[in-house]
Amino acid sequence: MRWIRPIRARTEESAETLGAKAHGLVVLHRLGLPVPAGFVVTVEACRAFLRTGRLPDGLGGELATALGDLEAATGRRLGGARAPLALSVRSGASVSMPGMMNTILNLGLTAEASAGLAAETGDPRFALNSRLRFLSTFASAIIGTDVEPGEALERKPRDDEARLIGAIEAVEDLLRRHGRTIPEDAGRQLELAVETVFSSWDTPRAHTYRELHDIPHDLGTAAIVQTMVYGNRDDRSGTGVAFSRDPGTGEDVPFGDVLFGRQGDDVVSGRSTTRPLRELADREPAVWTALIDALSRVEGHYRDACYVEFTFQTGELWLLQARPGRFTGAAAVRLATDLADERVITRHEALLRISPRHLHHVRTPRIAASAQADILARGVGACPGVAVGRIATTTDAAVRMAVDGPVVLVRPETSPHDMRGLAAAAGIVTARGGPASHAAVVARAMGKPAVVGVTGLTVDVASVGAGGRTVGEGTLVTIDGTSGEVALGSPAVTTDTADAHLRRLLAWADAVSGDHSERDEARRLNAAHAVLRPG
Amino acid sequence: MTRPNPSLLVLHSLRCCGHVGVARVAKATGLTESAAESTLIDLAVDGLVTYLGRGFDVWGLTDAGRAADAERIADELESAGARTAVTAGFRRFLLLNPELLDLCAAWQLRSVDGVMTANDHGDPSYDARVLGRFADLDRRAAPVCAELAAALPRFGRYRTRLADALDRAASGALAYVTDDVASYHTVWAELHEDLLVTLGIPR
Repeated sequence: MRWIRPIRARTEESAETLGAKAHGLVVLHRLGLPVPAGFVVTVEACRAFLRTGRLPDGLGGELATALGDLEAATGRRLGGARAPLALSVRSGASVSMPGMMNTILNLGLTAEASAGLAAETGDPRFALNSRLRFLSTFASAIIGTDVEPGEALERKPRDDEARLIGAIEAVEDLLRRHGRTIPEDAGRQLELAVETVFSSWDTPRAHTYRELHDIPHDLGTAAIVQTMVYGNRDDRSGTGVAFSRDPGTGEDVPFGDVLFGRQGDDVVSGRSTTRPLRELADREPAVWTALIDALSRVEGHYRDACYVEFTFQTGELWLLQARPGRFTGAAAVRLATDLADERVITRHEALLRISPRHLHHVRTPRIAASAQADILARGVGACPGVAVGRIATTTDAAVRMAVDGPVVLVRPETSPHDMRGLAAAAGIVTARGGPASHAAVVARAMGKPAVVGVTGLTVDVASVGAGGRTVGEGTLVTIDGTSGEVALGSPAVTTDTADAHLRRLLAWADAVSGDHSERDEARRLNAAHAVLRPG
Repeated sequence: MTRPNPSLLVLHSLRCCGHVGVARVAKATGLTESAAESTLIDLAVDGLVTYLGRGFDVWGLTDAGRAADAERIADELESAGARTAVTAGFRRFLLLNPELLDLCAAWQLRSVDGVMTANDHGDPSYDARVLGRFADLDRRAAPVCAELAAALPRFGRYRTRLADALDRAASGALAYVTDDVASYHTVWAELHEDLLVTLGIPR
């Protein structure tokens, strides 16, 4: 085939042709890890589409053939009234453009196929929930703004069918108002989804992103088509993200978020209350064991900490994405030193992996372990560092109070509207969301200490409550964005937690450069780099 | 076209901007500072706004003021027959909004050696590139503002204020991109809030 490649271990093309995400899936196959069956429409097909405004000749036929293979392999049929096949269609360029392009889930769940899925599983709520997700992701993609299915997607005991049907009708209405419909023919849905993913390369927002990040406009994206696995299937299903090591400290313990009974991007969006990854070990020990094994194999492949996105369906693990972890600061120093000690990389490689930039961030302050801190609440550390400030419970209050001194913004969760408050605050605390929530991403981007997912934290008009205590707006607190602690007052703070690793790394640097004189750390590292990277 | 009454303009500016001083009310409404202040005092007598002294020197809505604003803004929208046009404008605004947030992030931060670092504005070519994208976005935002102003004249102030912020930033006052209270980002966020309030959409 000219425009399509199967995603499997023997696929040989590079990330330039397959896109980085599909290439990562090929790597997972080679490592013998579970990946939902699928294929990729290449970056070349996207370039042809961008040049001419339509899918290239022959692609329609190739899609039908690839789909037929997938149906034969799974024993299911796209849009079928019995044993329906559902697909995910995702973008994946050779460079990272996070959040810029479209994803469509549960494609093929026509009204008829959804009825088939309900009959097959005996769970009409699950089938409706999945169809709603399909319509809302597709509608978001073709209208160009987020279509929020909202609370209807929460899988609750009283998740009644009428509410889901109402939400489905609302999305269909919205599409009609925009003069758009989603074809009932499932094969035509697939072509439209591929077109939609390719078109999303050229939205003004994506164009701006590329201008800012020096990415050529004619690069294009691949479209990845895979069999759906359902994180919303039942109570033994879910979805999550995981790092092989702690991205805040570099410590060799798995780190991430899991969301039980949910599907897709709920984890990344931060709208839902994720649970610490470790809870998977208790609730689904087999999934946990398989995930730990996968993290170890992927880490071995990249010879670096790694990040994976996963879904588990009725107790069975599936991997949806993998890439290197991209640690920074103290975490990068500890990771490089540990990997050298583990003989995964050489000491010279360890030195080359640390840029002087990382050293700027290496002495991240922590609440001292010996401090007699009065801990008000604990959440998940989302951006390392310590912030001391007075509690503000709204963006307006944060902006107003910041004039008189540092402020810690405490919110149930944040949205882009809180940017002014986030910018004004010295530190951020949210009750909901995990390490990849909006608040966490913005906090890390701004380099501000943040604690997210503080279970039981309530935020009122001018006070916050936790652990049976209520403290007013204006109360002085200290937050540790590494440990996730929120302490009252201003306990003692320390900055030397990564010192041991840094000292060893810099001793290796001196051994390489042969210069053992007193100099600052960046110079010691640069001298080693000069020897290791001549010219 | 009827001019909106100053009392509603001032009341509504506090609804969209939060707690602000007289100067910002004047900027948001297009009134002179003395006219804005005298309107604020009248509204305070009616119990709709309140003055925070103690070094803050800002005005804010009371609960009654918030309720009154919601009611009067809804009346204004319906009597002008502007709901359809404002809804359409809001949709177009939402298409631009994520891009504006991307641009603000790019203005504040840049990736150096894979490490996100605060933009220290020491690289004029980078800043010029980001400002160039702001100008491009602004050209696409202008017709949306014009459409909104044609439906409800008070939206015309946003066009003036956004253009003013961009002009100042382009002439070297870098705080007018994201940092100042009259920055492009601040005015944009107020427009976002205004559209939600006007259409009665809960956040």
